[in-house]
Amino acid sequence: MIPLAHYLILSGILFSIGLAGVLIRKNIIVVFMCLEMMLTAANVALVAFSRAQGTAGVPVYDAQVLSLFITGIAAAEVAIGLALIVAMFRARRSVESTALNTLKD
Amino acid sequence: MFESSLCQILFYLLAAIAVLCAVGVVAFRNPVNSAMCMALSFAMVAAIFFGMGAQFLGIVQLIVYAGAILVLFLFVVMMLDIHDEDKSRGSYIHAAIGVLIAGFFAGLTINISLGLPGATSGTCPVVTMCDSFGELLIGDARATSETAVAAAPYGGSLPELSAAAAARMENPSISEADAAAATSIPDVKLLGKCLFTHYNIPFVILSFALLSGTVGAVALARKIRKD
Repeated sequence: MIPLAHYLILSGILFSIGLAGVLIRKNIIVVFMCLEMMLTAANVALVAFSRAQGTAGVPVYDAQVLSLFITGIAAAEVAIGLALIVAMFRARRSVESTALNTLKD
Repeated sequence: MFESSLCQILFYLLAAIAVLCAVGVVAFRNPVNSAMCMALSFAMVAAIFFGMGAQFLGIVQLIVYAGAILVLFLFVVMMLDIHDEDKSRGSYIHAAIGVLIAGFFAGLTINISLGLPGATSGTCPVVTMCDSFGELLIGDARATSETAVAAAPYGGSLPELSAAAAARMENPSISEADAAAATSIPDVKLLGKCLFTHYNIPFVILSFALLSGTVGAVALARKIRKD
């Protein structure tokens, strides 16, 4: 069977790619997608832990419930965040993070 | 044996596609391509959830992430008039620094994961009390059968799911023959039992968060009249 470590490595790699996207990309919509990817990576780790800690062949469902909460919060966060992006586009006519430089000049 | 090796091949294949699509999200210049890659990556993660026996979470992942969230993203990308990112001079240095930080984080995670006891050897190490110092030793040869217990952060293969154990957990008064006759794990039933007993109040709070999120999104995105 697949060891727990490989699930954790997959989760870590997905999280790191999301982190790289947040740091590199200037388009705020893509930055937001990368944030969602980081949340999914956390979900992978949680579900793997729920299997690993399960005794007598039944997973620990607390971890899966936590993962379900993360999904729900992510849905709410996407609604708010995209509304903020739309509001920002109305004000600045751009979705680049470099356009947010009102304090600079 | 055949089934487990098929599971392994599928896991590594799906994981590779998920990681490739995740790279695509970061690499593509066009946000629509990024969104499509994100959907594919989430679908692969959902398939990995199915492979882990978390069917309900896999379905939720597909419906919420690859369905609803993707549609929201595409809707906003189409609604706003977005052009591709322009290549400015400092962007390569910027990208190199970002990749460096993320690579450092990835190396850290991989190192920690592979450093878990049993991650590479596949055998379960044991923890035993050292008599002279009273400290915990992992994988010590002096472990005797009475004092030895499985090490808690065990990174080896996941335990097999057992339908009989799940049936016994769902209904403690079930007879042994009925438990042995169980063929599948009632995943949704057990998850729902946990959700609506231990986590009932957080669940209600989550519904309020979703409601306020919806109202907030409408309030933020509406046109403000200038009068």
